[in-house]
Amino acid sequence: MIWQQLQSIAGSYPLALRGLGMTVVLSLISLVLGTLLGFGLGILRTGGNRLISGAIGAWVDLIRGTPFLVQIFLIFFILPELGIELDAFTAGIIALTNLAACFICEIVVAGIRSVPTGQVEAALASGLSRWQRMRQVVLPQAMRIVLPPLVGQYVLLIKDSSVVSAIGLTDLTRVGWLVVQRVPNGLLVFFLVGLGYFIVCYPLIMLARRLEQRMGAAHGEVQL
Amino acid sequence: MLENFSFRTIVEYLPLFGQGLVTTVWLSALSFAGALAVGIVLAAMNLQRGRLFRVPAKAYIDAVRATPLLAQLYFLYFGLPRLGLILPEFVVGILALSLNSGAYVAEIIRAGILSIPRGQVEAGVASGMTYVQRMRLVILPQAFKVTIPPLLGQAIVLVKDSALLSLISVAELTRAGQLLASDRFMPAEGFITIAAFYLLLYYGLKGLAALSGRWLGLAGART
Amino acid sequence: MKIAKLFIAGLALAGLTAAASAGTLDEITKRGELRVAVQTQGPPFSLVGAAGERTGSSVELAELMAKEMGVKITFLDFDWDGLIPALLSGKADLLVADMTPTLARGMKVAFTRPYMYTGSTVFTKAGTAFKSTEDCKAKGTKIAVLLGATGEKEAKAAFPDADIKSYKGGGPLLLDAVNNGQADCGVNDVSAVKGQSTAYPAGSFTIMPDMLSKEPLAFATRYDEQDLLTWMNLFLDQVSLDGRLQKNLDYWVNSDDWKKDH
Repeated sequence: MIWQQLQSIAGSYPLALRGLGMTVVLSLISLVLGTLLGFGLGILRTGGNRLISGAIGAWVDLIRGTPFLVQIFLIFFILPELGIELDAFTAGIIALTNLAACFICEIVVAGIRSVPTGQVEAALASGLSRWQRMRQVVLPQAMRIVLPPLVGQYVLLIKDSSVVSAIGLTDLTRVGWLVVQRVPNGLLVFFLVGLGYFIVCYPLIMLARRLEQRMGAAHGEVQL
Repeated sequence: MLENFSFRTIVEYLPLFGQGLVTTVWLSALSFAGALAVGIVLAAMNLQRGRLFRVPAKAYIDAVRATPLLAQLYFLYFGLPRLGLILPEFVVGILALSLNSGAYVAEIIRAGILSIPRGQVEAGVASGMTYVQRMRLVILPQAFKVTIPPLLGQAIVLVKDSALLSLISVAELTRAGQLLASDRFMPAEGFITIAAFYLLLYYGLKGLAALSGRWLGLAGART
Repeated sequence: MKIAKLFIAGLALAGLTAAASAGTLDEITKRGELRVAVQTQGPPFSLVGAAGERTGSSVELAELMAKEMGVKITFLDFDWDGLIPALLSGKADLLVADMTPTLARGMKVAFTRPYMYTGSTVFTKAGTAFKSTEDCKAKGTKIAVLLGATGEKEAKAAFPDADIKSYKGGGPLLLDAVNNGQADCGVNDVSAVKGQSTAYPAGSFTIMPDMLSKEPLAFATRYDEQDLLTWMNLFLDQVSLDGRLQKNLDYWVNSDDWKKDH
């Protein structure tokens, strides 16, 4: 029976590959866009402007305080009302990018705030502009704090991408959901789905751990 | 749909939303209790010096952390009946949430215990305490203080994760929003309302975290 | 100067709206693409076959429509309860599924004339204590229905003392639930139940002979797409007359022939 089911599943091999591909593509695009946006938001948030800082803070809180599933439903079914026509893939990218950006924003803010003020003042005294200060003094040192949780966030992103299956995107989880209705062996099908995610996520988890160890050892050393 | 945003329908469905909210709260509470139980066991296993318990515990934690909750939920939902276990959906949901969050709780506890300075442990040893006494009187009380904020953070994550249970037909808060979409074709009214309710829970838990931070004397404790 | 600018803007806007009311059929032809909302997994009307290809009775009829229109077709799949919101939000031009044109749904979307008739029936797992519709009326019986389907309302009316569980997704989930005991009885269209039960060993389910209701099935589009609606009705008339509709239904709905190929 199991052998027969494995054969049946093997028959869906192209579908599974498409699902895995969708998961990878979704995660990759949202990862890149989310990082860019997240860094931008983080830098803006630590700017001096109370209004911008507050607005970003409120938005980040909104995203962190509601389930991603609800966000996806909102984006997919409501945005078109505001005139923005969306297919499931675009909605998924927008939702994931937004989610990633908000969490990365907080990580970046923590990183920026961790840089000793002495450094910032020295940079000011040296006549560097805000942008130069950021790029040459603050961010490089902030990266030490930022990198481990950033990689961790990428893992979370890949896992959260599974939720887009709820709006019908054929990602790896959705493929499992489709196949299990034809091959009613939930243990087998979703074990394989889990394996797929594991193969993609585990290397990143190892990387995050390695980074944490290395950064943790170097933490506290401030060169003046 | 947005032009005629119907507050009247929302009010009409308020009892349903209320029921969903209550269900979400007790589901999350039970799952959190389960997660604590699972997490404590895993953390204890992970802190053992011998390989026998440490390896399976670590393997389990890694497996759970590298796979999505939704896949784990479907694994249990579609898989348990094959083992002959016919459980009501909400039980499967609580099980999935507990087993998933338990792995994260284990890591939080482990980090908390490992954060106790060696000096404390050595002082305990020097005072002639046994392992159990050391744990009970020195390490655990301090670890407790440190782990409360991240544990509350995990509780917040759990409440958000509980939304996935709507996909296996548990009648919780998100499902209430879906019903408004499928019965009355008003997804906007449905999902915006439940988002508001979730925010209520979020700020409530955050408030709790801030209060507990102050109560435990942790300056500037943030989740 | 300002008034002149406003005037030009006003003209442009009027021009735009005039173009917009040029008709859906023209738009579809210009776009070269027909966007159709279908159910993700609802054999035999819409399903994903073993090789991952989208097929089914409604799917093939939609493909025929696109061919007759001379455009290519794009399928967007949704859970059952997501079909109408998808149509209303403009993601799709039309919806093809085994959907009943109820009066409540008719307030939101425009239905074509029926293309076939079916009815809701009750089904249970073979060999259990639930052998008839009467058995399912007992207090506390767990009845599986599909979220947003007519079966949901019919079950609530027919089994007032039972515990109705609404599943989000498609018909196969109901069979799954009844099969592994999470529900005692299920309610869905007999055409869907018969088509979906083929995934299980023969004789797994007892399908009650008495129907809870008689239901027409129709396709749907938006009320602002009157020309598309008229065309779809014309299409259904044509394929009824020349026998293509009957051939489709005989292959997919009235027999299990499709199972051999998919």
